[in-house]
Amino acid sequence: MIVRDDLVEAHRVSLAHVASPGARLTAARRVQIAEVARDAYLAVEPSPPWVRPFGDPALDVAYRIARHAGTITEQWYEQIITEGMHPLDWVEIVGVVIATIPPVAFARAAGVALPGLPAPIDGEPTGREAAELAPAKLNWVPVAAPADKVASVVQALSALPDEWDNLWRLAGAQYMSDRQMDDPLWNRGTLSRPQMELVAGRLSLIRECFF
Amino acid sequence: MLSWSSTESGTPADIMAITEEAGDAGLPLGAELIAFTDAIAGADDAALVAARDALVTVAGEAFMIDAAAVVANFEMMTRVADGTGARFSEEGADHRAALGDKLHISGFTSAH
Repeated sequence: MIVRDDLVEAHRVSLAHVASPGARLTAARRVQIAEVARDAYLAVEPSPPWVRPFGDPALDVAYRIARHAGTITEQWYEQIITEGMHPLDWVEIVGVVIATIPPVAFARAAGVALPGLPAPIDGEPTGREAAELAPAKLNWVPVAAPADKVASVVQALSALPDEWDNLWRLAGAQYMSDRQMDDPLWNRGTLSRPQMELVAGRLSLIRECFF
Repeated sequence: MLSWSSTESGTPADIMAITEEAGDAGLPLGAELIAFTDAIAGADDAALVAARDALVTVAGEAFMIDAAAVVANFEMMTRVADGTGARFSEEGADHRAALGDKLHISGFTSAH
């Protein structure tokens, strides 16, 4: 089976990103979160959404985002933050989960070997955050200032530029770039744009994602 | 996006097919794409193999790979949206609420 080079590379870079020091978390912690996310995604009999299987807030958040994202409420987010998690830790956990699941989901879907997670790279967290943060009306999480000037999914991870970059690099390879999105006829010569949107809409429905 | 892109491309799709058990949305290979997407989202590996093989048979391997990539992308985007509490702006909220009512998805936790 021949997989497009740009897609292979985007998935490779994404998993390497997981195994690198993040803005606030070490690489070892990020890989631990990624393992939870991968296993949650693949679990045949997952824990129900209201169970916190690990007794470790970061891993519990990763599990729920990976397996039951459509059940997460603002109340639960606030509960976790009240328990002591920094909001940017939450953002980084989202970034790690969404960096891990696409290569795994693609491999299972296409029938190729599931990718392993690279060994974590030594080093301290980078501290790389947006120059200025702001509370958002369109997201629970803080975002890069100024808030709410772009769509909520676009600003969602903007507080942590490395997570934001990885998200949109993946999107460009798996789906299309921002620029291509403006053209309703754009395609790769395989699925037409409406066929792509049918798949996107169906998957979003199954995941109970209103957005 | 489905409604807009299908209209612009001259083959208006039936967006209700997104929520129905069967159908093709009026698109070529729509039924096979829905079956493939459903199988990826499920836990039955044998069903996934069957749906994948069926899609490859009618559309080819490159088509199946790009469909799998789109699924992977929305396994990502749904978690970005739900994991950060993404909401529509005021300008888009009314249209989205009407669409939610039409598709019977306004009861989703993420809609509130």
